[in-house]
Amino acid sequence: MVIDVHTHAEFMEPMYKGDEVTRQRKEIMGREFLGYCDISMALFQMDHAGIDKRVLLPLDLTTQYGCTIVSNDEMKELVGEAPERFIGFASVDPYREDAVKELDHAFGELGLSGLKLNPSKQKFYPTDSIMKPVYEKCIEYGKPILFHCGTSWEPNTPAKYSKPLCFEEVAIEYPELRIGLAHFGWPWVQDTAMMLLKYPNVYADTSMLYCDRAKDFFHQIFKVDLSPLWIENMFSDKVMFGSNSPRFGEEDMKYGLEKLGLRERTLAKVLGGNAMKFLGMED
Amino acid sequence: MKMKLDSFELRTKNEFDMINITERVHKFVEESGIEEGMVYVMTAHTTTSIIVNESLPCLETDIEEKLEEMVPKDAQYAHNHFLPSYGATGGNCPGHLKSMLCNYFAYFPVKDGKVVRGRAQEIYFAEFDGIQDRTVYMQVVGE
Repeated sequence: MVIDVHTHAEFMEPMYKGDEVTRQRKEIMGREFLGYCDISMALFQMDHAGIDKRVLLPLDLTTQYGCTIVSNDEMKELVGEAPERFIGFASVDPYREDAVKELDHAFGELGLSGLKLNPSKQKFYPTDSIMKPVYEKCIEYGKPILFHCGTSWEPNTPAKYSKPLCFEEVAIEYPELRIGLAHFGWPWVQDTAMMLLKYPNVYADTSMLYCDRAKDFFHQIFKVDLSPLWIENMFSDKVMFGSNSPRFGEEDMKYGLEKLGLRERTLAKVLGGNAMKFLGMED
Repeated sequence: MKMKLDSFELRTKNEFDMINITERVHKFVEESGIEEGMVYVMTAHTTTSIIVNESLPCLETDIEEKLEEMVPKDAQYAHNHFLPSYGATGGNCPGHLKSMLCNYFAYFPVKDGKVVRGRAQEIYFAEFDGIQDRTVYMQVVGE
């Protein structure tokens, strides 16, 4: 089972809600030239790349921008286009007065599979007191949280909210909460390595490509910046394949991981086994 | 002088793909009403080409393998960096270079309302950065 845990849903064709909404979403997300992709094309690309499932991510920016980048109800609709291939996450703006109610709706009624939050874009620290009911609601439903972590190319996203160590006290206080650190927290990959080593409930995804091609970038991260054996010996159960598609090419990102020279069983965990644990798909 | 412009869409099936579009060009010219003149076929993209060659699977393989040898996927390219205007990282330089090597258009004379071409000359749309939806333009000019 190959699972891409980090793809963005806003440019899949059913999410086209008119030119003005598109213009706004592109501006907010910093993706000026990216176009829409219809469902059949998305599935064809997944088949060609050997990817069984994609996690689709939204973002609730109600208080910052007065909009959502795919709402939870839209996400439900999108997953319905290919329920055997798409795994839909929810998002909630923690500053919304009805944040917990919306999460209940997203998990309880819509059946979404996890929560996506971006502290840099949504402007909160993971340890803020407003987050407590959000974390408790995720634990109640057994749903993981994928946090944006590290640098972001989106406009207006200060990194101070999203450095890997910002999540340490959350990992300590909520050991039953499965926490995913997106983008491996780049460029703070050593800090992410510490989080993976120390906290059993912390995972990281590979959706980072800020220079070079994926093959070269992953070599630099996993063979040079981190010791070559760490991913094999220290966190083979913690790293999850994520592409950040459409920002980075899904097939090329997978190819880059396959070229790392990992043991077959380690690669299988990275490409899907660890995601299954994170998503709660294992018994 | 008359002029007619048309386009069609293609969905490519691989990173490298060659799709024979000869019949589509013929049909366009024959339905244009232009008897004497010329037709241009152009790809709308910078990681694709319009190639004219013999339609043999062995030649298609040779074209693919020689281009890969000349412009290898895993080489170092200046284009491999984050492009703020796209909000994405450029990873398709080989496609751009292959497109440059193979050209983006082809031209054929039109005589008696038909495309003039050599017996072995087939018109291909060539993809170097698939899988994608692509657009091809055709313009016929004449009397």
